[in-house]
Amino acid sequence: MSNQFRVDYNSMDDKDFRHMVLEWYVRNYPDELRFPPERMHWDECGAWYMQLAEKGWLAPGWPSKHGGMGLDVNKLLIFMDVGENYGIGRTPDQGVSMVGPLLIQHGSQEQIDYYLPKILSGENIWCQGYSEPGAGSDLASLQTSAVRDGDDYVVNGHKIWTTLAMDANMIFMLVRTSKEGKKQQGITFLLAPLDLPGITVRPIVNLGMHDEFAEVFFDNVRIPVAASVGGENNGWSIAKALLGHERVFIGSPKLAILAMSRLKSLADAANLFSDVLFVERFTALQLDVEDLTAAYKRFIEVLKRGGEFGPEVAMLKIWNTETLQRISEFTMDTAAEYAGIWGGIETDDGLVRASAEFIGSRPGTIYGGTNQVQRNILAKAVLRLPG
Amino acid sequence: MEDISLQSRIDVLTEQQVMIQDSAIAFIAQDEELRKVRRNRFDQPGFDNQIWQEMADLGWFGFLVPEAYGGMGLTFADLHTVLVQLGKGLTPVPFTATAVIAVGAIVKGDNEALKRDRLPSLVAGEWKPALAWQESRGGIDARATKVKLRDGRLWGKKIFVPDAGGADDFIVSVLSDKGTELYMCGNGANGLAIEYEQRIDGGFYGQLNFEGVPVGDRVASAAVASGAIESVLDEGRLAASAELLGVMTRALEISLDYMTQRVQFDKPIGSFQSLQHKAVDLFVLSEISRSVVLQVVELFDAGVSQREGALAASQVKARCSDAAMQITRETIQLHGAIGYTDEANIGLYLKRAMYLSSWLGNASAHRASYAKLKLQAETADE
Repeated sequence: MSNQFRVDYNSMDDKDFRHMVLEWYVRNYPDELRFPPERMHWDECGAWYMQLAEKGWLAPGWPSKHGGMGLDVNKLLIFMDVGENYGIGRTPDQGVSMVGPLLIQHGSQEQIDYYLPKILSGENIWCQGYSEPGAGSDLASLQTSAVRDGDDYVVNGHKIWTTLAMDANMIFMLVRTSKEGKKQQGITFLLAPLDLPGITVRPIVNLGMHDEFAEVFFDNVRIPVAASVGGENNGWSIAKALLGHERVFIGSPKLAILAMSRLKSLADAANLFSDVLFVERFTALQLDVEDLTAAYKRFIEVLKRGGEFGPEVAMLKIWNTETLQRISEFTMDTAAEYAGIWGGIETDDGLVRASAEFIGSRPGTIYGGTNQVQRNILAKAVLRLPG
Repeated sequence: MEDISLQSRIDVLTEQQVMIQDSAIAFIAQDEELRKVRRNRFDQPGFDNQIWQEMADLGWFGFLVPEAYGGMGLTFADLHTVLVQLGKGLTPVPFTATAVIAVGAIVKGDNEALKRDRLPSLVAGEWKPALAWQESRGGIDARATKVKLRDGRLWGKKIFVPDAGGADDFIVSVLSDKGTELYMCGNGANGLAIEYEQRIDGGFYGQLNFEGVPVGDRVASAAVASGAIESVLDEGRLAASAELLGVMTRALEISLDYMTQRVQFDKPIGSFQSLQHKAVDLFVLSEISRSVVLQVVELFDAGVSQREGALAASQVKARCSDAAMQITRETIQLHGAIGYTDEANIGLYLKRAMYLSSWLGNASAHRASYAKLKLQAETADE
């Protein structure tokens, strides 16, 4: 836990703040972890997580009274920007990004006092148990059941696509507590340690041959009723509210900008900028990214004014993830035979792996609600087309 | 018709912008059925003098004219809201060519007397000048090399001058012994012959053939002319992009209405997922376009170097040209057979998009231009 005095970052000059954050990253972030191609496991990034915890920078968006940095939107955007530019990798941050905000909004005082310090100290690493084999895009049809037995729920079921579950020791999850009424109304939000008897975690290897996510099985697991958040059968609405304004960040053009710069290195190495056909396609993609950046900034202005997003923010996810896929497909084209190998091509800017670019950009259009579901939402909620 | 754009959800307009936009919305609502648009098609001069006068009475030709010359001295942030609405209304007046390009050529020129003398009558709608700058196909290369000024007379040819038939005067870019300059030349002057080409949207392009035509006042000397032409064309590209944004937005609005009303298989066709996803893709494209227009508007109002202006103009014209074409042709498909008739208004939007997207450089030309500027910069860095 940080024993530093509280700094009022929001009163700092933007430039000074940016400089301070960057300087600390340069001095403390391991070089070999910059711009990691995949989500890092705890054995790679745990030390960094603890360093952030020690510094008091683990939870930039939490209010300072809860141990966060208490950054306002403007400073938070700068903080994120510096991290993205420097290539700071994501830690197993679900506790910070999901559990903390959830408890601050909907948790009891006991829950806040118990769980938040353990997130900030690195003692608890959280993972998310939402999806199930039969509940993907149609999440509300989830079947993992929690049946009351005295002061406990007895939980049985099967969660899947649980990112980095093997590195976590806690899970927050949605379970079915009622089969009455609409399916959204019988869902409860539960918190549980992963070492309870009856819980099994099984890693899943993805197309990139990386065990980034896992399945979690529950076999008569006893979880105290006191570990539910927001009351029985209220889980759906609080989980939905949790998505809130963070949805805009899925539209950040940073990944696409980096993918373009690797494509450029690849093309430089192959001397392709004298080829007009290449330049035409490259420029079209570059403008797709530039125009995404314009749209992203337009949405970010809403946050800066203290506004909230409606369903329209889904357009950023669609444009961003599909642009990233087009870039990766053109990168494959540009790499020729090197697209068919696991390794890559040495360029002035390091190794560029076309196959990894391609495979790595696939899940973007699937997770967080497939792009088809996003289109359904926009059609009805924004264009008001008939059901 | 209901506005589907995200403006009301996520953008903030100043009070002045709201006022200007509201007056433009009311203005185009007078011809929502596009009767006047149809009436002026394929009929010289290809625009509506009465609508021109009504726009002048609202002060719109003075948006970019400094107050000292009888204008309002406003910004692109104010002006673009009108351009979007005129695109929606397919208003049959060459507003970008006049209020942005011709105005800009005079304002950025260095003939003070001419500015004082002529700009007030332009603002009042009494005088209609048109810039004649283009000498080769493609819409990018602004150099004047073919039209020459010798002993006070013009020789050569200018092409693709929009709605030339209704212009009182042409502002002509010429190569003189001093370099590139801008000169006034009267429509109807001796030795000037105009050939007309009917445009797909119902207007006309003029080709001006100069055979020893006597010139009038100099609008811009060699000291400023080249820079003025480049910058005024980039502003014109932004303005045309804003019009294209209006064209694509209204085409989509009309189509969403149609999808809600048209019933097949006992359901409104708008309830079919394949059509919903198509409509969403077009909507996303229109909002990406709007984001770029807004960004470039802000950039131009803040002031840009020649190079920044050219890059930004190419970015916005490439996006809006492509998006308007994609949206208008796919909304024809959303309409089905009725969309292929001249009677359905959706086709008018396609045709205006065909004109505006190819005028002042199409999407491919602007992507090439953008790439060239970027690559030049990199070579210069090395």
